[in-house]
Formats: sequence, C-alpha cells, structure tokens
Amino acid sequence: MVQKKEAGEKMTALFNLKIGNISGQLEETGREFFCADNKLMDEDEVADLSGEFVNLIAGLLGSKDPHKRTSPQFHALEMFFSGLSQRMLMRGGNVEDVVRYAQQLQYSLISALELDSGIIFTQSRSVLLYFAQVFDELIMAIFRTYLSEREKTLKAQEAELRETSTPITEIWDGVLTLPIIGTLDSSRTMLVMEALLNRIAKDRARAVVMDLTGVKNIDSQVSHHLIQMVRAVQLMGSDAIITGIHPEIARALVSLNIDLTGVTTRASMSDGLKEAFSRMGIQVSHKAN
Amino acid sequence: MAISGIHLTCIGRGNFLLEPLGSLNIQDAGQLMQDIITLLQQSSGVRLYYDLNGLPVIDPVYYEWLNKLARICLTANIKMICINMQPTAAFTLSSFLTCEPLFTTALGVPD
Repeated sequence: MVQKKEAGEKMTALFNLKIGNISGQLEETGREFFCADNKLMDEDEVADLSGEFVNLIAGLLGSKDPHKRTSPQFHALEMFFSGLSQRMLMRGGNVEDVVRYAQQLQYSLISALELDSGIIFTQSRSVLLYFAQVFDELIMAIFRTYLSEREKTLKAQEAELRETSTPITEIWDGVLTLPIIGTLDSSRTMLVMEALLNRIAKDRARAVVMDLTGVKNIDSQVSHHLIQMVRAVQLMGSDAIITGIHPEIARALVSLNIDLTGVTTRASMSDGLKEAFSRMGIQVSHKAN
Repeated sequence: MAISGIHLTCIGRGNFLLEPLGSLNIQDAGQLMQDIITLLQQSSGVRLYYDLNGLPVIDPVYYEWLNKLARICLTANIKMICINMQPTAAFTLSSFLTCEPLFTTALGVPD
C-alpha cells in the first residue's frame, strides 16, 4: 500500500513534467520497427502514432489513480494498442513486431523521461514496476486483438472453403449439378442441404444431379443425411439423381442397410445429366452435317 | 360453398388450388376434409394443388393432416399435389419422414 502511494506520487511527478517533449524521442522506436525493411508505416504516420501514445500515457499518469486498470485513460491506451495491432496485421505485419515495439517503447519511455527530468528512474523500483505492469497489460491487449483477428480470418477462410467445395451450378435451365468433393461429415452435409434447397427454391430447378465421384468414404450418419437430402429435394418437387457412387460407398450403403428405394442413381455425371434431360423432355444430340 | 380456413379455387381442367389461410384449424380435420371433397366432387375435380407457400415448417401434426387429406382425395380418385414447399419445410419434413407420403410434390402448378 505504501509502495503504491509512493509510486502514485512519482507518477504525478512524472505527469507534471512536460511530457510532450519526449514524443520525438519515441518516434525513433516507431521508425525502427515500422519504417525499416517491412515499410509498414511512413514517417508521418509514426510521428502521429508517437504523439498519440504520449498524449494517452500523459492522460494515464495524470489520472486520479494511474494504477486503476478500469479507468477510461487505461482503456484508451488498450484501444490504442489493439488498433495498432489490427492495423499492422492488416498490412501484413506480424504480432511479434507489435509486441517488440511495445516492449521497446517501454524502455524508450523510461529513458526519455529520465533524460527530460534528470531523475534516474531506472533506480526506482516502484516506477519500473508500474511501467512493467502497464505494458504487460498492453501486450495482453495486443495478443487479444491478434487472436480475435486470426479467428475472424480463419472463420472467413472456412466459409470460403465451404462455398467453393460445394459449387451448385445451373448447368441447364432448371437443372442443377452439385459435385461433392472430399470428406462428407454431418455438418457439411447439413450446409450442402441448406444451400441446395435454397437454390432449388430460387431457380425453380426441376432436377438436381448430385455427383459423389469425389467422395471416398461415408459413415452411417452421413448416409442418412444424404438420403434425407434426396428426400428433401423430392419434397420440394424436384428430381434428385445421385451419380458416381464408388464401389466402396455402395458397399458401405448396403452394409449400413440404407434404403435407396425411390432414389435414382446413375454411374456417371454424364449419365445423370442425360437422365435429367430426358425427364425434362430435352434432347441433346450431335449437329447433323 | 365457402370453407372456413382455406381458399379453394378452380384453375381449370378439373384442377383446384387450395390455399390454406391463417385461420385454418386442422384440429377439425374430419369436417374440413368432408367439405373439401364434397366441393371437389361436385365440380368434377381431378387434381388438388395444395399450396404450401406460406408454411415455413411442417411438423408431424401438419404432415398427418396433409396425408389424411391425400388419402381422402385418393378415395375419390383425386390426386393431391403439394406445391411451393419451402426449403425449411422440406428440411424439417425430410428429417422425420419414414415412408413415402400419400401426396406427390411439384415446384408449382404446371403451365
């Protein structure tokens, strides 16, 4: 408690210094990390960044209780580092650069304050401890932002992959094709089903050819979902044709006792398309010479 | 003859379009089916298109109603076709169906 009070007094003393003068000294740190080889920022941007940081740290040191982690001043500092972290990641930088910048900023800040005040802060345990705690929290904020950004990126990539791995194409007026590639699991089957049913409603598709050539294995639950998908397509009033069932898949379906009654199957995608065309009364033939 | 809870419209060639309204009470299925079949027989109906457009979900109770109506239609040699089934309704219905329904389905009324 005594230590905290002593540190608090020192913080007020620090705030009473003309802290704005140290901005220029901190710019050097920013330039070192962001303007060197990676060119993540230009010099003007680094100057703005340092100025903003100095204002925020001055705000914290001048606040009623500089130790309070829930104060608006501390929150503003956290947001500053979160924003910086986000900006650097978007520009192709990595989290390590931002963390090292924050660490270096801590040392530079203490040196700059020492230089400005003539007081040797490196000999004051309470001041060093205070800055160490503040910067530890700020580094945590950087990591939180990094993790949340990474999670967002992964989710976006996952969604993109899902969309591209099940391309539903209208190959002819009213005929949809759905080549399924890769491993079918329950969640993917559900997503495919949702996309397919919505597409049938949107395009008023009369036939759907589902090609399983790219599916190498299937389990009991997925095969039930597959049959459910066929049934749902039929309920919407479209014809469902399954093509390209591998011998292993056929064997699995038989051993799993899956009832394929009422499900139209064809050996290949081309046979499936012929069947769909024939049901719709479409005839595709070679042009007569 | 007006039937409470539905709109039944003759769309030509013995085809009828049934549009359920919000006030449809399927608890009284017996009377409702009797009224529908009476009207269809009087008008020499051959096909009944049941429009499911406004129905986002078909639960087992509603499915039972559809199947009962299809069964009574079959006894009068009338074919029941459910049209405009919504993706969500098809999804829920397919999740609990164990056998083929007595009605057929189509995207809409054929041109």
